[in-house]
Amino acid sequence: MVKRFLFVAVLGTVLIQQWACKKEDADPGDAVMELSIPVGFPYPNIPSDNLPTQNRIDLGKMLFFDPILSRDSTVACGSCHLPEHKMTDVLALSTGIDSQKTIRNAMTILNVAYQPYLFWDGGVPTLEQQVLAPISNPHEMDYDVNLVVERLKKHAVYPDMFQKAYDQEPTVYSFTRAIACYERTLFTGKSRYDRFLYDKDSSALTPSELNGKSIFFGERGECFHCHGEYNFTDYSFRNNGLYEIYTDSGRARITLDPHDNGKFKVPSLRNVALTPPYMHDGSIATLEAVVEHYNSGGKANPNKSGLIKPLGLTESEKKDLVNFLKALTDE
Amino acid sequence: MKKFHFLFIALMVFASASFVGCNKDEETGPTTEKISLHLHSMVGTDEAAYGITYHDGSGRQFNLSDFRYYLSNFVLIKESGEEVPLSGVVLLASPAAHQYELGEVPSGSYKGFRFLVGLDSATNHTDPTIYPADNPLSIQSPGIHWDWNSGYIFMKIEGYVDTTLNADGSPDFEYFYHVGMDELKRTIDFSTSAFEVKSGADAELALEFDLLKALSNVEMRTENETHTFNNMPLAEKIADNWQSAFSVMPE
Ligand code: HEC
Ligand code: HEC
Repeated sequence: MVKRFLFVAVLGTVLIQQWACKKEDADPGDAVMELSIPVGFPYPNIPSDNLPTQNRIDLGKMLFFDPILSRDSTVACGSCHLPEHKMTDVLALSTGIDSQKTIRNAMTILNVAYQPYLFWDGGVPTLEQQVLAPISNPHEMDYDVNLVVERLKKHAVYPDMFQKAYDQEPTVYSFTRAIACYERTLFTGKSRYDRFLYDKDSSALTPSELNGKSIFFGERGECFHCHGEYNFTDYSFRNNGLYEIYTDSGRARITLDPHDNGKFKVPSLRNVALTPPYMHDGSIATLEAVVEHYNSGGKANPNKSGLIKPLGLTESEKKDLVNFLKALTDE
Repeated sequence: MKKFHFLFIALMVFASASFVGCNKDEETGPTTEKISLHLHSMVGTDEAAYGITYHDGSGRQFNLSDFRYYLSNFVLIKESGEEVPLSGVVLLASPAAHQYELGEVPSGSYKGFRFLVGLDSATNHTDPTIYPADNPLSIQSPGIHWDWNSGYIFMKIEGYVDTTLNADGSPDFEYFYHVGMDELKRTIDFSTSAFEVKSGADAELALEFDLLKALSNVEMRTENETHTFNNMPLAEKIADNWQSAFSVMPE
């Protein structure tokens, strides 16, 4: 046993040594980087086989915005996650291949490095695996990842980029890694609220926004229980009383547990003013209407969280809460 | 660097020498023999194949265009009750293939075995892109992975069926049974089907899987679609038939 341990240890050291030697004459784009993350945020967990390098990020970014991933080469990841809309498409339901509609609203993928599982129902455990889903989804890109690889191999520049980034030709493994690597560099966390909180700039928020903040983080609103911490979500699955009967079963689609019916992953509220419409189906158009929903206590539903109950906010308190949500937009 | 390589090689020689040592110890005990699974996928008394017209229990015509299923977690039970798990062995069975490698086991008398139709939860949710192309779990196995929930389809049955009321038409309606998700893996128990692994000879387990039995209480005319999550009762019905659909072939 000890022998075997020693053997593995020596093998490991040799491999590291060889890797280090190789790095000496390698290009700087191949060096493992440290991601620059917003103040107050923890460093995200990154899988050891996909540590960030500039070559990987550049490749992933190019793939993310390239319609080559879709059957008829018309739809890119970036068609539904647009940088100018904080990586959403500001549509209730997104438009995929052949002008088809998706079944859910596209959430932002900013700060996605922190998501412990992906999608509104949390059905996919890693960012790398998530890449497979939109490509095979008949409403989104309707293609086969193995055929994507064939296209990439024939491309003028991709094969070389893959060689540099992952030391291999285009494969499903390497292209899903590249896209995930790029996505992990997308952060957001520089709002006026952050200036108030971390830079101790007390003038960063208006009196109305400060009052909204107290409602949000206090017993008047109870919002922070679910939308707490640096990313304004605890990543739990909750039913916030949107419907009496949900047509989308949400988390129950994965767990098959009726108690999970109508539960969805709590969304981040960063930049929320810029990413209407709201909820998993985009059914609420404005932040005013969202606050109205919570103030009413939502619809009756056996799975509704106990935190969702009539709040009795005054008109000016509702305005203050909306104003606070608007202060979560990056400057 | 040189010194390092030397040390490395020395240790490697040392380590492999100690492995050889282990084998020597076992020479007095049972030998290790190759074991494989001989499996026939059947539709009643006919071999399952694509494009052939079959009749279901009620005489209704149907055919197959895709029929594949995962078998995993084989455990062989020795006469003494000791269990020999064949960890990591996963098979993707299909009508065309009859012989599947299971690995190596100690020779001796066994009183039975069991296995899963489907995959254990950990394997079910691994990333399919990490496997080499010839692995049954690889993303190169077409259409057998659900990307939206990161799980495998444990049994995929697709084809066309006659949906006329009196079953007097032709198979022209596309049906699909995609049975999966952790809850629907099923242990197939043959713990009293004894077999022998003889020293110096390859061993074989011989099984038959009868699709008609797997669909015995399924009314194909009306019950013709399940992705599991959207029609759990139908998927569950099929999964619950798996044990009775398997039978051990006489040697
Ligand atoms: C046709 C529009 C469309 C395309 C194209 C698209 N997405 Fe999405 N994306 C969505 C929708 C809608 C959701 C939410 C789906 C759900 O939760 O079921 C989503 C969710 C996500 C999520 C989950 C975020 C979270 O917090 O859970 C990630 C990550 C993501 N997409 C990345 C990608 C990548 C990478 C691609 C390209 C390979 C891509 N998307 C292509 C519409 C799209
Ligand atoms: C019990 C947990 C919980 C509480 C408490 C809660 N929310 Fe939510 N919130 C959710 C969930 C879950 C969703 C998504 C629901 C869906 O799509 O069906 C959501 C969605 C939202 C959205 C839409 C975001 C988007 O991008 O679609 C906003 C805005 C929002 N909540 C604000 C608030 C405010 C303001 C409060 C306090 C008054 C609050 N929430 C209290 C769980 C909660």
